[in-house]
Amino acid sequence: MQFFNPEIAVANFGPLLAGLLITVELTVVVITISLVFALLVALGGLSRFAPLSWLVRSYIEVMRGTPLLLQLIYVYYVLPEIGIRLNSFTAGVIALSLNYSAYISEVYRSGIQAIARGQHDAAAALGMTRGLAMRRIILPQAIRIVIPSLGNYFISLFKDTALCSVVSIQEVVFTAQILAARNFQYFTLYTVVAVMYFAVSFPAARFVGYLERKTARGYRRKRK
Amino acid sequence: MIGPPLASDRAMIELEDLHKHFGSLHVLKGINLSVSAGEVVCIIGPSGSGKSTLLRCVNYLEVPERGRIRIDGKIAYRDEIGGAFRPHSNRAIAAVRTKVGMVFQHFNLFPHLTALENLTEAPVHVLKVGKEEARLRGLELLAQVGLVDKQGAYPEELSGGQQQRVAIARALMMNPKAMLFDEVTSALDPELVTEVLAVMRDLAQRGMTMLIVTHEMNFARQAAARVIFMDHGVVVEQDTPARIFEAPQQQRTRNFLRTILER
Repeated sequence: MQFFNPEIAVANFGPLLAGLLITVELTVVVITISLVFALLVALGGLSRFAPLSWLVRSYIEVMRGTPLLLQLIYVYYVLPEIGIRLNSFTAGVIALSLNYSAYISEVYRSGIQAIARGQHDAAAALGMTRGLAMRRIILPQAIRIVIPSLGNYFISLFKDTALCSVVSIQEVVFTAQILAARNFQYFTLYTVVAVMYFAVSFPAARFVGYLERKTARGYRRKRK
Repeated sequence: MIGPPLASDRAMIELEDLHKHFGSLHVLKGINLSVSAGEVVCIIGPSGSGKSTLLRCVNYLEVPERGRIRIDGKIAYRDEIGGAFRPHSNRAIAAVRTKVGMVFQHFNLFPHLTALENLTEAPVHVLKVGKEEARLRGLELLAQVGLVDKQGAYPEELSGGQQQRVAIARALMMNPKAMLFDEVTSALDPELVTEVLAVMRDLAQRGMTMLIVTHEMNFARQAAARVIFMDHGVVVEQDTPARIFEAPQQQRTRNFLRTILER
């Protein structure tokens, strides 16, 4: 019995890479939607308009209280029964975005609430409205605080996209499953997949670290 | 020159029967106070006497449960209709605040902006002043507080005294009609207090209307036209600094001054 078969790895590299591209595409689309939508959710949750903040709380609790796998299945298999028919990619994007937006909105909220009251006072005393103060003073500082957490969610999402194999999106894990069903080269195929994931997420983590240092501007004394 | 310039009779800040509670704590118990245009008034008193809360009510950072506030002769922040208050729009409240500059104990500079950007932020985005005009005015005011060479520095890179001078300049950028100072030297190392007080003296000489909560008795004595002693949410006594410090009429004032001056 042979463990790692380089010939098999080379022969299947093309289809696996195509699957990896779907994985990356899915990640980028979902994180882009989630970063924006989660901010709206967070601001809604902090709103003084009670029905809105209540709605936001319920949404977050439902998303956090049910498995992501179930949410995916629900969007793809259950919604068609009430006439909402989505292709698998769209279903994956919707389910992942709803799920991640809930978590990321909590990250935003904690970042916004971490900004000292004095900053709100100073902005208000200068005649800024709440909206302007949020946009110009609070959010720029809050974003800096939450970048490490956002980076974690980004990398976690990249790996969670593998769950989309259940709604038959041909991302990299699903591709490997199909190939392995044909040639039984589990060790080789899944090792290649693991290396592919790591080859993307490790540099991504480094990039997040770089962003963190770059946005620390004004928060650390410059070297004299 | 010793002593402030003469104030006019026009009232710039008027507070009438101001009441404020924090939970069951009655912090302000019916404050009446008027500050004329160009007048420098210092408020002294023990901690917890309501001085800072009073100051914060003037620009509506705290909302008093009762009472009227007039800024430059106009009823500010809310209307009283049949015993109930109707707050003005957020924009109207913000507009009044631009006329009343405030400087805080902990500076509250915006840490993500440079000194100059701290100054230009509100003029550009609130008053819609052009960027270049705001920049020139910002440099002018940084020069006035002696920090023009620190224009590109972030707050974190400045000493406490420098930060507080930037904060004063930031408030002046709005061309306020009055300035509020909330224990602005209390968080500073002793050797940095002087430079901040010098900026405030200079401002007083230029005729700015100033309402100052302070523990700096020498400053109050020299710079103020009037000193107000507050305790337990009431104005106990107010008079010229000479009379307050040399011949206070109330026992509570005497006790407070003794504890402060014996330090």
